[in-house]
Amino acid sequence: MSVRLTTREIGSLGKPSWRVKAFAGRPIEEGDVKEAERWGRRLEVSGYEELVEALGAAASSTVLLGNGGMPLAEIDNWASRYAIRLLEQAGLDVVYDGEQKRTEMYDHVAAFAHGFEPRGTVRSFDNKYYAKAAVVERPSADGPQDVDELRFVAAHTQKQVKVPLTGAYTMEDWSYDEHYAREGALGGSAERRLEARRRFVEDVAERVIRPNVVGLVEAGADWIQIDEPAAATKPDEVPLVVHGFNAALRDVGAEKRSMHICFSDYRALWPAVLELDDCLELQLEFANRDSRELGTRAEDRPGYADTLQLFAEHGYPGVGLGVLDIHSDFVEPAELVRDRILFAVDVLGGPERIQVNPDCGLRTRSWDVVYEKLSNMVAGARLAEDVLNVAHT
Amino acid sequence: MRAYAPGIYPRSEALVQATRDLDRGRTTAAEVEQQRQADARALVAAQEEAGLDLLTDGLLDWQDLFRPLAERSDGLTARPLTRFLDTNTFYRALLVDGPPRLREPIPAPELPAGRWLATLPAPSALARAARGAASAEAFAADVLAAQIEADAQAGCALVVLVDPFLAREGGVEEAISSLRELPEDIPLALHLPFGDASGILDALADAPVSAVGVDFYATSLDAVPDGYPKELVAGVVDVRSSALENPDELAAFAEALLERNPAGVALTVNGDLQFVPDSVAREKLVRLGRARALLAEAVTA
Repeated sequence: MSVRLTTREIGSLGKPSWRVKAFAGRPIEEGDVKEAERWGRRLEVSGYEELVEALGAAASSTVLLGNGGMPLAEIDNWASRYAIRLLEQAGLDVVYDGEQKRTEMYDHVAAFAHGFEPRGTVRSFDNKYYAKAAVVERPSADGPQDVDELRFVAAHTQKQVKVPLTGAYTMEDWSYDEHYAREGALGGSAERRLEARRRFVEDVAERVIRPNVVGLVEAGADWIQIDEPAAATKPDEVPLVVHGFNAALRDVGAEKRSMHICFSDYRALWPAVLELDDCLELQLEFANRDSRELGTRAEDRPGYADTLQLFAEHGYPGVGLGVLDIHSDFVEPAELVRDRILFAVDVLGGPERIQVNPDCGLRTRSWDVVYEKLSNMVAGARLAEDVLNVAHT
Repeated sequence: MRAYAPGIYPRSEALVQATRDLDRGRTTAAEVEQQRQADARALVAAQEEAGLDLLTDGLLDWQDLFRPLAERSDGLTARPLTRFLDTNTFYRALLVDGPPRLREPIPAPELPAGRWLATLPAPSALARAARGAASAEAFAADVLAAQIEADAQAGCALVVLVDPFLAREGGVEEAISSLRELPEDIPLALHLPFGDASGILDALADAPVSAVGVDFYATSLDAVPDGYPKELVAGVVDVRSSALENPDELAAFAEALLERNPAGVALTVNGDLQFVPDSVAREKLVRLGRARALLAEAVTA
């Protein structure tokens, strides 16, 4: 049987300028209209002229979108249609909508669930910031959060769909705790702090994420991706990450479930991740740490060698191989993608456990760069398949 | 018995927006600086109102603990984005392409002489941020010493040296050795944010600093040896939590600490206040000041 690698995105894409301005209440400009037209035509978005017309009307008047112009919900739908088409046209096998309808991965959940209150802005680095909330009571949700989003995506693509969801551990790690660790923190024991964190993770997993997963699966989702960028932040707590994953997906009939982790010390993940229930793969960031030179020897692939060795050693789970650096406009040539894949195949002893994706969501890159990167990723996967199929015949 | 809040302070929502706008080309550096100065004035007023003993301008233009010295030193470039401990924040690690040497000191803040404190990375923290490409001794002798001299001449009352790595990753002997390279004409305090200091407190008893700062949200009170020969600067305000501390509880904790007979006790934060939003940080300053007042009353009584 010939080798065929599956190509996917991880989650977020940047939002088009017209979507950003519409939601910020800022006027649409002629440049936004042109961008909508350029991408609508390039991606062959069905009926894109309707959007262009609405944007054009907004640009030539004082009417704001959502306030007399096209409703914001419809703007959101257009952003989704465009993002789905971008991923399809780049040639991916598995798509979503670039999380166009979500603010960002943390706030999307914190704003929906009960039990969180916004606390303000804190800095991530340099002049980059993020909004942070506090858990003030046991989190819960009234029902599934993303079913409408999934239905919209599924109705607008023939490709396989993978739904990205923020994991319980990351929600816990990125939140202030004004509930579980309220008492006895000053001078208290590490055990007490860990117990508070365990209860927080468990409640988010069971009372917020799991209802969403159940609803999504009932609505037809067969692949759930749990995003845990915080997974290895505190190496001792990786078992808690695993506990959150298993609790969120307990007794749920999703055919495929996987976990995405990035920008972490992956050595901390094993052996705890061996306890992940039916996890198809860990989708990890590699390219960020790698050389841009071609080659398939370990010394050519410094970003991959050590971590892939862990996969090889432990035999579980599969690997979602990050082959695109999402923090750089450098467009990886297809041959570089090919070599990264072939090196992974060599370390793991075969292609069976390997699928291909970017390091992480591509939200910080322009769509022009994203399109080129993803197209080359797909082309690189095909090149790798060619090599592997020749080797197998 | 003093209270103070060293480290990087959070930017106000207005300053956050101004810096975002600067990155997007929507405003000028001069306008951002104007907002920063307004933030700094408000912060100084808030510290005075809270009754804190030493003041800071909040280091609102510092992008991370290491950047200002790196930008003013030969041989150093701040580049790879690196996770800061186990937080969701990042700093730029230091690349060393020559012997690190301070070219020009960080300007002193416009604060009354004898009333302000300086925050600087400890030499051992700089070495760690440079991934060992230069030694802690070299950073102490060729970068920090000149900076501390400049601060002393500008009226600084205390230099707080911050090492976020030491309690977690060890290397205490090298850290102590490097501190011996620093000037002795100004009080130095070594602060250990976000780490369990229980394993190194004994060793730091011999360090050439007048005070040791301990994060008591990561360190048990039981870890403090009786009769500790340094002033303990107790990190009793948790900058990683938005929950507001009860001043009575903080004061009671400090009293329990005093029962262990250290050379002295001061109250502080357990790390940079920038880990909470500005509005939360303001309230925490108030509670820190209130706890200090309560402690002073209790001790006097």
